[in-house]
Amino acid sequence: MDKYVVLKKSDFNGFIKSLSKTQKVMAPVAKGNNNYAFEEVSSGEEISISHIPTILPPKKYFMPQRETILAFSKKEHEWKPILEKEPLVVFGIHTCDLEGIQLLNKVFTTPPQDTNYINRMNDITTIGLECNDYCDEYASCCVMNNHLPNSGYDLFFTELSNDFMVHILTEKGEKITGGTPLFSEAQSAHHKALEQLRSKKKELFKDEVVVQNNELKELFARTVHSAVWEDIQNRCVACGNCTNVCPTCYCFDIKDDINLDLNTGVRIRSWDSCQNETFAKVAGGENFREERGSRQRHRYMRKFNYSIGKFNKYFCTGCGRCSRTCMAKINLKETINSLAGEKK
Amino acid sequence: MKKTKVAFFDFSCCEGCQLQVANMGEALLDVLDLIEVVNFREVMSERSDDYDVAVVEGSITSPHGVERIKKIRSIAKVLIAYGSCATIGGVNGMKNNFELEDIRKYVYQDSAHHFHTIPTRAVHQVVPVDYFVHGCPVYIPEFVKVLKSALSGLPYRVPDDAVCTECKLNENVCMYEKGITCLGPITRAGCNSWCVNNGNICYGCRGMVTNPAQKGQKDILDRYQIPMEWIENKMNMYNKARENDLAEEKKNNEQKC
Repeated sequence: MDKYVVLKKSDFNGFIKSLSKTQKVMAPVAKGNNNYAFEEVSSGEEISISHIPTILPPKKYFMPQRETILAFSKKEHEWKPILEKEPLVVFGIHTCDLEGIQLLNKVFTTPPQDTNYINRMNDITTIGLECNDYCDEYASCCVMNNHLPNSGYDLFFTELSNDFMVHILTEKGEKITGGTPLFSEAQSAHHKALEQLRSKKKELFKDEVVVQNNELKELFARTVHSAVWEDIQNRCVACGNCTNVCPTCYCFDIKDDINLDLNTGVRIRSWDSCQNETFAKVAGGENFREERGSRQRHRYMRKFNYSIGKFNKYFCTGCGRCSRTCMAKINLKETINSLAGEKK
Repeated sequence: MKKTKVAFFDFSCCEGCQLQVANMGEALLDVLDLIEVVNFREVMSERSDDYDVAVVEGSITSPHGVERIKKIRSIAKVLIAYGSCATIGGVNGMKNNFELEDIRKYVYQDSAHHFHTIPTRAVHQVVPVDYFVHGCPVYIPEFVKVLKSALSGLPYRVPDDAVCTECKLNENVCMYEKGITCLGPITRAGCNSWCVNNGNICYGCRGMVTNPAQKGQKDILDRYQIPMEWIENKMNMYNKARENDLAEEKKNNEQKC
């Protein structure tokens, strides 16, 4: 399916209003201080069409921060799996985050498959939104090849002067545009405007680091013992912000929470972070990654080195969240450039 | 099932953490299905010296307090330090900023000679503690977790990562981005960033993480142009008695060498 329709900007508010009456719609809203978050909306007016990447990526709908996965009873020795899900439309996903979702889909659909994730994934409709401008100095979406749409959505919106140009990629998407008279067929003028926008983007979006995409793996493979990691060791405070905001971090912890009857209880899965002090701590008190620098290096290797071996993909989408949120201003682009600046 | 006998005690504190238990609402009924409360000054008149679990609020600030907590420890099978005053010294620790004699006279004036006083100590700085429920006041969901662990004979691990971890998961706008100083980056998580969720800063009431990055933290303060004294003053509010732990640690290290 490869079809384009248009929605008048003046009809956008009504479109979201009517859509939110049929299912829950999540979209980026302004939280102040140039921060944004995906939240439930019931009208287009609440949505920030122009936004830098949200505090947390839309990952939170596919893999919630906290999720009950099991209910058990000790005495009866019984347990039953729990699936928490609801149909959702997530509107306004930038191309970097669409890539993040596709990477997570790959992780959780590769055996051993994650049933809860897959069930939720199938129940979520994703509506992408094109970045017409470069968001800020932290992004590196261009070198990661995620500044233009590369699939991973049901519908994809591009803002033109009077309309939204909408690419329909799936049947799920077509159901939405076909369910209302607000969408009309795209005319050649629309296609031309889209083409112009995309070629303007080629000027606006440039590789953000001194190395090319295909050199990144080799760069990280040869700099395991670099002094750059020592510098980061001295700066990182291990607050875990970088991993918590990452669209592709998927490490989790599982804990049992017993009820007050001390018999029944639930098993809860929650996000974990390799940056936390206790992440690599084992029985007996040994900590395999005691140094904050080695934890940071591990994070980078998971994005640019190990993931190539396992999934043949970089696990950095270039969204820039880790640099944007870092209290110590550890900056991904600077790290890459510093590593590249070292003698081979 | 025989109910476990639980006694609540208070030392130097405002008893606000115990009030949190009284304010639990319906969940309190479930808790009471599990335990028999035999001592709780705020809610009942009965007293008993027969108990399995002692929940101790407040810090130890007098010789009399030392004797009393030792007696409680000798009776209780399990001792839970409850609330910041008990777990880290809390606001009472500010007393340790002054000369003992000066502060005694300042507080008790002409009657000072009636009141024997010692520098503020957290409960574990006097007797061994089995469980810690940090917070000012305690975060009730954490207290319930600790209680369940204690009654099941399981350990409870206080999170040792920063409040920022939970705060980020709750998707709050960072206080530093708003230009406000917050102690989240050096304070132990476990409260689900309760204060920040409600628009307040983190005051560090749960105590510091065990391995704070001193150099990194200093860089951050420089970057945000926050004077070190501000943070020290803020830390002083709850964490002054931490110096007792550091002194003890130093003594132990010297003995090892």
